[in-house]
Amino acid sequence: MRRILPLMIVLALGAFPGWATAQFNLNLNRIIDTGKNLRDATKEVNEKQEAEIGQEYAAVLVGAAPLLANAEVERYVNRVGKWLSLSSERPGLNWQFGVLDSDNVNAFSTPGGYVLITKGLLARLKNEGELAGVLAHEIAHVVKKHHLTAMRKGKGMEAGANVLSMYLEQPGQRSAVAKEHLVGGIKEVMLRGLDKDDEFEADRMGVVIAARAGYDPYGVPAVLQMLQSLNPKDSELALMFATHPDPNSRLDALDKAMGTRLDRFASQPQAAERYARSMQGK
Amino acid sequence: MRTFLAALVFALGVAPAFAQETGFAVRQTEVKKEPFSDAETVGTLAEKSQVKVFGRQGGWMQVESGALSGWTRMLSIRMNSGQSSIASGLKSLFSVARSGSSGTTVTTGVRGLDKEQIQNAKPNPEELKKLAGFTATQGEAEQFAAGNPQLKNRKIDYLRQP
Repeated sequence: MRRILPLMIVLALGAFPGWATAQFNLNLNRIIDTGKNLRDATKEVNEKQEAEIGQEYAAVLVGAAPLLANAEVERYVNRVGKWLSLSSERPGLNWQFGVLDSDNVNAFSTPGGYVLITKGLLARLKNEGELAGVLAHEIAHVVKKHHLTAMRKGKGMEAGANVLSMYLEQPGQRSAVAKEHLVGGIKEVMLRGLDKDDEFEADRMGVVIAARAGYDPYGVPAVLQMLQSLNPKDSELALMFATHPDPNSRLDALDKAMGTRLDRFASQPQAAERYARSMQGK
Repeated sequence: MRTFLAALVFALGVAPAFAQETGFAVRQTEVKKEPFSDAETVGTLAEKSQVKVFGRQGGWMQVESGALSGWTRMLSIRMNSGQSSIASGLKSLFSVARSGSSGTTVTTGVRGLDKEQIQNAKPNPEELKKLAGFTATQGEAEQFAAGNPQLKNRKIDYLRQP
């Protein structure tokens, strides 16, 4: 319906352009614009466009905090991440994982398959199974295109759609203005966060993707319990807590969804030793 | 005494990092002798009982509450907030926490992932190019998974929304 209605308006109005007075013409253009944006907003972004948006998105993240200058740790996180991605529904994306040199406790993903975790979060994880949980949660956001959904909702649907459609409609010669708007839309999503329901979905998918890849499925809940034990007033947690449901409600939701369903995979490795070794760059 | 505790911790394979943590039961929950659902039940935690948490194995947590100790379902426990600070975590043994930044000149307070810092961030495509140099191929990922411990692929359906 959402897809059909604006199309009908556009078709109906567009069929009688001769009726337009100057005043009406102005309104008509606005309606057509809105109709077009709404249509674009619900239209699928193709994989190439998704990759382009993702690149802009990731460039903002590494613009905010640089990469950790430790090639061994970066490569290790990439191996874990790539292995997990092979158990997702989008193994063929150009998955790129990285560690941001920041004491903030957070992890990010972008359309197209960039996944970034902060040094602050990495340092608080106890094993590879927990790292897998964090990365799998982010992979789930990418698989389900949650960022694009959030971008479309930016400052009301019309503005969000504008940002995306302005950018997508000018392949090859992206105007500086379109790019600037896109970056604005990206920052807005980073600061506002994704839909709360999408976070809960990524938690549910994350435990399964980690278990599919052979890890203990309890990595995500273990990380949530760790977050719960921190002081929520610590400034390093501010953005993450502002953009996610609180750990308690995420644990409640996972508790209900998991029950004992994944218990037969609970003896799968957590790889604590490999994690400690890799963090020391050995 | 200290040696004994260290030995115990080692024997149980429990990470010492857990030793100081506390939590509480979100519901009345059974305490088992071992981390299995068919293990002997040694007692019951009342809702809101405070527990010390010693470690985790799969979906089970090793807890102690008064005279009662054993294993309880991990998701029946919530942690008490504010018991560890970020700063203490960064002093961890991991050298990742100590290594420096990427050679980019970082002016403290200008770059970072706080709200204002993200608002002021400039896209950095050059930094992004470095990331591409660290990616793993499918072959590398598979080789990694074949290592120690080995990670075996499984087919598992997603969980339904409760």
